Parts: sequence; C-alpha cells; structure tokens
Amino acid sequence: MDARTEEFLAYVQEGGQVEATDWLPEEYRRKLIKFIEMHGNSELMGVLPEREWILKAPTLQRKLALTAKVQDEVGHAQLIYRVAEDLGKPREAMLADLVSGKAKFHNVFHYPTHTWGDVGVIAWLVDAAAIISQKALLKCSYAPYARIMKKICWEESFHILHGRDVILAMMTGTDAQRLLVQEALDRWWGPLMQFHGNPIPRDEDPMYVWRIKSQGNEEARQQFLDGYVPQIWELGLTVPDPNLRRGDEGVWAYSEPDWDELKSVVTGHGPRSQERLAFRARFLEQEQWVRDALLAA
Amino acid sequence: MNARARLLLAIADDELIVGWRDSEWTGIAPTLEEDVAFSSIAQNEIGHARALYQLAAAELGNDADALAFDRAPDEYRCAPFVELHLLDWAHTIARRYLYEEADRVRLDALRRSDDAELAGLAAKIDREEAYHRMHAEMWAARLRDEPRFRAAVDELWPYALGMLEPELRPELARRVGLSVESTQAIERGEHTPELAELWSTMTEVRRSAPGAAW
Repeated sequence: MDARTEEFLAYVQEGGQVEATDWLPEEYRRKLIKFIEMHGNSELMGVLPEREWILKAPTLQRKLALTAKVQDEVGHAQLIYRVAEDLGKPREAMLADLVSGKAKFHNVFHYPTHTWGDVGVIAWLVDAAAIISQKALLKCSYAPYARIMKKICWEESFHILHGRDVILAMMTGTDAQRLLVQEALDRWWGPLMQFHGNPIPRDEDPMYVWRIKSQGNEEARQQFLDGYVPQIWELGLTVPDPNLRRGDEGVWAYSEPDWDELKSVVTGHGPRSQERLAFRARFLEQEQWVRDALLAA
Repeated sequence: MNARARLLLAIADDELIVGWRDSEWTGIAPTLEEDVAFSSIAQNEIGHARALYQLAAAELGNDADALAFDRAPDEYRCAPFVELHLLDWAHTIARRYLYEEADRVRLDALRRSDDAELAGLAAKIDREEAYHRMHAEMWAARLRDEPRFRAAVDELWPYALGMLEPELRPELARRVGLSVESTQAIERGEHTPELAELWSTMTEVRRSAPGAAW
C-alpha cells in the first residue's frame, strides 16, 4: 500500500468522510461501487415480490399504502444508482450486470411470496433487518452515500410501521389470518437470520476496514434480534428456532444459520432468482426502444 | 340503483381499474423515473376511485371497499378501455394519453353539474389530473413519430370514445385531432375477458376470508 493510500485509510478509520471530488484509492472505489451497486440492485429486486401484492391488496387503503411503499423502494434504487454512477459505473451497465447474474442482490429477494402474511412480514421484519444495515451507513466514509441514507432510513422507518400495522390487523383478526402470519414468519426466519451475513470479525471485513460499513455482521444481527424478537413474541407469534434465547449479558443465542443456503441463494440459485431476473430482463429488453427514443430526443 | 349512483360507479370503476393497470408497471417500467411516476399516478387514480366510491356508498348504504372489491365482475361499470391488458409502453402511453384527455372532458362536464357535491369532487380530482395530463402529453409528444405509438393510438381510439357519453365525444375528438364520424365506439356495458382475469387477481386475498378485516 502506498503512503497516500495508507494516509487515506487512516483518515477514514478515524471517522473521516470523503467526497466524490476527492482523490480515492482505486481499491476503495471498486469496493464502494460493488457495495452500492448491490444495495441499489436489492432495492430494485425487492420491488418484484411486493409488486404482485399491490395488485391483490385486500382494501383500497392497503393498496395505496403498499403502492407508496414500493414507490419509495424504486426511488431508493434511483438515488443509490446515482451515487454509483458518480463513482464511474453507468446505470445501463449496472442493470445489464444485474439481469445477466453478474451482480448480486440481497438474499431475501430471491424467495417467493405465498400469502398476504408474507407482505406483512416483508414490510415489517425484512425492512427492519435492512434498516439496521442502512443506519450503519449513515456514518459511511463516502459522504454522498451517507447523505442519501438519511432520506432512505427515514422512509424505511415508515415501511416498518406499515408492515407492523398489516401484521397487527391480521393478528387481531381470525384464526386463519393469524395462521397466515405464523406460516410467513416460519418461511422468512431462516433468510432473516442469514440476512446480515456470516459472523466474520469486523476487522477482517473489507467493507468495515474501509469504513463503508460502520458495524460488523454479528453486531447487526444482534441488534435485529434485540429489537424485534420481543415484539414478535408480544404479538403471540412463535419464532421457529428452539435455541433462540437472550443470554444474561444481553447476547442472543440462536441456531447456526444455514450459510450454504445463503451462498447458494445470493449467487443466483434461490427459489425465485432466475424467474425474477428473467422477468426484469424481459421488460428491460422489450422497452429498450423507449430508452433509445429518449436518448435520441 | 339510481342514475347518480350509476354515474359515480362508472367513473370510480374507470379510475380503479386504470389505476390497477398502471400499477402493473411498478418495478418494470422502462426507466426508474417512470416507475416512480406510474406509482404516483396509480395512487392518485385509486385515491379518486375511493373518493367516488365513498359518495356512491353513501347512496347505497355500504362502504368504498365493498364497492371496489365485493361486486361480481359483471356488476362493474367501467369502460372496456381501462380493462385491456396492455403491458407494452406504446399502448400504455397511448391509453394514458387518451384516458387523460377523455377524463378531462368528463371532469369539465361534471364541474358544471348541478350536483354540488359531485362538482366539488370533480374540481378536486381535476387538480391532480392536470399533472397526469402533463405527463401523458409529454410522452405523447416524445413518441409522436414512433410508428408503434401512432398505431396504438389508432387501435385504442374506439375504446377511448366509448368511455364518454355520446354528447361529449366531439370535444374529445377535437382535443386529440381524431374523428368521431368514421369510428364505431366500443361502448361501456359489455366487458372484455381481461376484466374477469383482473378481478380474480384483485380480489384474491379478500375472497379468501370474506368479512375479515385487513
């Protein structure tokens, strides 16, 4: 590592932030683009499972709320891609890498949704897990990324309220509705526990070393468990992990998440990975003429 | 059902179904900017539908959700125009453009209505529709020279005419520069097979637990 890069690294590790116009080490720029691109991809791919349920929402109010939520997610994708574009990767290239399977997106968006119970669990718990990662980006060493995270976290906190409200309506409804929520929780628990990644020590995580992230994977997972398991229990739901308990020192114990499943899913082998990518690719290709027409104008 | 309730339901159903169709673009629109725009438009249209259903519900003694979701497909009063499944951008923009122009003609007439409640709601709705028209007109201007867009406008024109009462049709034709005389309008009353398909998806969750609160 040359002296300039060492100086840069020491600066960000002391909590310093840099701007798009500052000199950035190439490795830092590459890591930033990869991280930010995956974040943007996740926002965009996360729309597809929820999209189906806008069309099926059981009341006008729920339909409006879910449309607004999903609209926020697309807006986040747009903001996030713009930060990556400024770092040097064009949007068209990011979308092409997404649909070709070269770029990744979060594990939770590779799974199917079966019922309205999934809609509630996604908006409540998947968004809760995501906001924990995103709040840790408020201190990101790359200032433009940290800045957009303020708006994103603010909006995500509304999504969690929306999700909790969907869940609450079902939990105070009929037995059949309560069962839908429990079944959805059973389906999502595994992917939720994998969401923050394997418990690699944070100083060995390059994203932490460069202070792109400001916390380690296990810290994020503990924060999720601490914030949400008590709420899940309070609603009368059962978490499908017999080993889950809060230890005396406040550290949660849990069954080892299936890291092989995580690896397989994020490399495009999840139950809906290929179907969703094909769906996106179909419309990207079908409407290429529109983008061409806009560019020609 | 009286004439006022029938009128309210026809407009509300148009707005609900066109909003539903607009939502089909969520997540897959040609650009992220349009994705966001279509979600906004869909929310507005569905919000208008809700306000209109609320007026109708006061006449009919039920509520907006019951009107939106709990009728059988053949009880809906929407025009075939909004039912069509058109998941390609040329047809979608052609419908948005023709729909907004037709809706403007209809709202103008309603704003002059003796029914103060309806006239007030029409004025309120029109304030949002003004932005939809700007959006649709911008796209229509951009795609004006694209053969597939022009073909889609021609194909949908008989459907668009059918959205309006006959006395309002010449005004729509004047606005979009097309002709009423040579066209056989596809009238409100009969439904396309696409409505039954849409209805089945739209009401799936609600039908799974009749009477439940969501």
